Amino acid sequence: MAKTVIDEEFLSQVELLQTLIKNNVAGMFGGNHKSKTYGSSCEFADYREYVPGDDITKIDWNAFARFEKLYTKLYLDERQMHTRIYIDASYSMGYGKSRKDEQALKMAAAFAYLSVCEMDKVSVYAVRDSRLNCLINGMLGKEAFINSIGALNGVEFGGDSFLSEAIVPSTVGYGDGLSVIISDFLTDNDFEAAIDHLAGKKRHVLCVQVLSKEELNPKVRGKMHLFDSEDNNKYYRKNITREIIKAYNMALEFATGRIRGYCAARGADYMLVCAEDPVNKIFFEKLVNEGVLK
Amino acid sequence: MTFLYPLGFLALLAIPCLILIYIIKSKYTEQTVTSTYLWTLSEKFLKRRNPIRKITGIISLILQIFAVLFIAVSVAHPVFTLPGKAQDYCFVLDGSGSMNTVQSGSTRFEIGKSRISDMISSAADGSTFTLITTGNTTDMVMKEVTDKKSAIRQLGAVQPSYVASGLSGAVEAANKYFEENPACKFYVFTDKFIEEENVRNAELINISEEVSNYALDDVKYTITKSGVTVNGKAFSYIGNAEFTVGLFIDGSENAATTAQVSVSAGVGAEFTLSAENNRFTSLRVAIMQSDGLSLDNEVVLYNNHSDTSYKTLIVSNTPFFTEISLISAGHTQIEKIKPEDYKEDTKGYGLYVFQNFTPKSMPTDGAVWFINPDSGVDSTSGFTRGDPEQFENPVGLRQNNNTSTKVRKLLKDTVKEDEIYINEYLKCSTYREFTALMYCGGDPVILAGSNAYGNREVVFAFDFIETSDFALSYNGPVIMRNLVAYTFPDLVDETLFYSGDTLAVNVLANCTEIRVEKPSGKADYIDTSVTISEYELTEVGEYTVTAIIGNNRQSVKVFSQLPAAERTVTATEAAFLINGEPSAQKRDGKYEDMLYLFIILAVIVVADWMVYCYEQYQLR
Repeated sequence: MAKTVIDEEFLSQVELLQTLIKNNVAGMFGGNHKSKTYGSSCEFADYREYVPGDDITKIDWNAFARFEKLYTKLYLDERQMHTRIYIDASYSMGYGKSRKDEQALKMAAAFAYLSVCEMDKVSVYAVRDSRLNCLINGMLGKEAFINSIGALNGVEFGGDSFLSEAIVPSTVGYGDGLSVIISDFLTDNDFEAAIDHLAGKKRHVLCVQVLSKEELNPKVRGKMHLFDSEDNNKYYRKNITREIIKAYNMALEFATGRIRGYCAARGADYMLVCAEDPVNKIFFEKLVNEGVLK
Repeated sequence: MTFLYPLGFLALLAIPCLILIYIIKSKYTEQTVTSTYLWTLSEKFLKRRNPIRKITGIISLILQIFAVLFIAVSVAHPVFTLPGKAQDYCFVLDGSGSMNTVQSGSTRFEIGKSRISDMISSAADGSTFTLITTGNTTDMVMKEVTDKKSAIRQLGAVQPSYVASGLSGAVEAANKYFEENPACKFYVFTDKFIEEENVRNAELINISEEVSNYALDDVKYTITKSGVTVNGKAFSYIGNAEFTVGLFIDGSENAATTAQVSVSAGVGAEFTLSAENNRFTSLRVAIMQSDGLSLDNEVVLYNNHSDTSYKTLIVSNTPFFTEISLISAGHTQIEKIKPEDYKEDTKGYGLYVFQNFTPKSMPTDGAVWFINPDSGVDSTSGFTRGDPEQFENPVGLRQNNNTSTKVRKLLKDTVKEDEIYINEYLKCSTYREFTALMYCGGDPVILAGSNAYGNREVVFAFDFIETSDFALSYNGPVIMRNLVAYTFPDLVDETLFYSGDTLAVNVLANCTEIRVEKPSGKADYIDTSVTISEYELTEVGEYTVTAIIGNNRQSVKVFSQLPAAERTVTATEAAFLINGEPSAQKRDGKYEDMLYLFIILAVIVVADWMVYCYEQYQLR
């Protein structure tokens, strides 16, 4: 069932933040992000000797008076990026009392708003099974955000998720911004190919792993028959003892460590988020501390 | 291996129940979780498990099944045969008076108990212990007790007696038990010597050592005008001896007089002690040297006879013979009146004699004699007067030869047979308890008993002079003397006894309670509904008899001596023969701590269930 997850107070706080893209990026003109190339922004970058044909308005006459040579001022170029947000809409994200789905949607909205505030384009996708369902496409500007963001409330969580199969064939752009994958990553299905693919396309990738409190610190004990919400053929039947809980914690550490390591190896950011944590805490503390936002 | 209680295996039925319960309770709680990915992954991180730990899930069930198995086996009580180990033991412990002899610091009885206790302690588990003691009675104190602690505890509670007792009762009890259990091994602990060939199917353990023993016997006193003279015999049972005998008057610690006595082994030496005191209450005669058996070293004699100065009223027209008889019996305060002068409310006499006369109502404050009553009396008298039976020729009175009670013994003392003749008597019948002294035909003619007021009563169903030769016969005065003694009894007639004797206590008129306090301090209350109450003396020493008579309390003391048979510290016994062929069958062994095991296992089962319930509660 769709959930209403965005409120105005939160959005006004998000407005104060700014995404920190690791490399200067390519992209369309008119954005707020610094490009590797020199352009026409107000931010001074360097000098170079005048070459005939250069814009004479950029000549620094003060430098000419001192050195009796013509130097042209160079300014950084500012580009518009395209932020693409992928939400894992599988059953495991939305099952039961866990608030993973809510958290995922909130974060997606927050990232979208952040990008909109930076004059970037935003596209939001829901990944369910192998399909990529575009919820918002190329949204630009706050007005468009207000008009479009409600689409997130209509996301239905169900089925399995095959992130790679859904993302790789899609248009992901090239070197033009941030790709955020929000998922619990609790799957045997391949998601690494998606990260590779996005990294290969010079996208800045951020993997947000959302886990519920019960998944981070399970309370079940005794003889349990646990069924997988995505596939009833998958089950775990055991007398859950302290020893098994210890093994579970090791498995959790292994799984998160594996994703973190994979991301680090490809220059991608990774963040583990508890579904029950408040979003502002995640944004204003975690993401800032991790250097994803500033 | 056999099982004493095979039905105990019914407890095994609990095992299928237990498994069923486990199947039910082992139902896994089903729950859908967002993903089983991490749970499945955790399998890789489980430590390599010991194969035994694979059964951890059902270890509780296994433990409980073991518990039930053990419980079932415990209840079934397996018995292992341990040849040459376990044995049935029967101990015969002589508890006669001589076992109180002290040797090596302990009495023989205590030594016997100690030896038995050692044998019980060192016996193999599974052995059974039976104990037969002799003494006042022969008792099987314990029978086939398997618990050693219990057997030793019961043995410890056994006490020696102070009576003369042989082993015949023990032989009888041992034979009876031998018939039940021919595999039993008998041990006889005694200080009596028995020839080896006279002991069969038993092992005789003589625990006597030769110790000196002196004793006193036949001690009597005579009161003279100037004082008292005590005569007696002194004995030494081991060798010749010379010792001092002292006389202590009225509980004094200092001897009033002493005498040196030289005695030969086993032969009594007479001694005489005289003191200038004839108004004593008690005389203690004691040997002043110590020996192995001190119980027979002293005798206490009491002067309990009260001054019986009852007044007697004779209501008769012919009181002469009766008066003479009473005077000769020691009663001098006699008043005589004619029947027509008797008033029904007369009181204040110890004895009322109604001769050829019957009052309308019974006197309430004294003994009553009826001599040939002329009519019936009220129901308080306890008898009814019938019609006279007359004979042409005089008929001899027949005696009641039964002397089974103290009353009969007293009434018949020195009475001769067929000496009194009568030609008329009254047919009387009784409805209270009376003792018939003489009969004519089948009817009692001299009766003694008590009336409804608790006073003693005598009935002569014939006239002394006109219809019988009672007054002229030999028996007449004798019977009168006996009846006077019966009518005015002391609380006790004798004061010196042997342990094992029976003390006769006269239940006086208006006596409501008689208490006998033993030398050990214990007390018994004896029957006061009879004329003479009997009490068996089982201890050596001073007994105090206290009677509540009306509002008064009367106490007398008697002394119980150790029987002569128990003084000879080297006594012999004829034989200890247990007849029959002994069986070589040994006693099976047993588990001593089955109960504790049962409790421990029960606790494990309960604890396991509690833990399970707690876990289930936590998962709710």
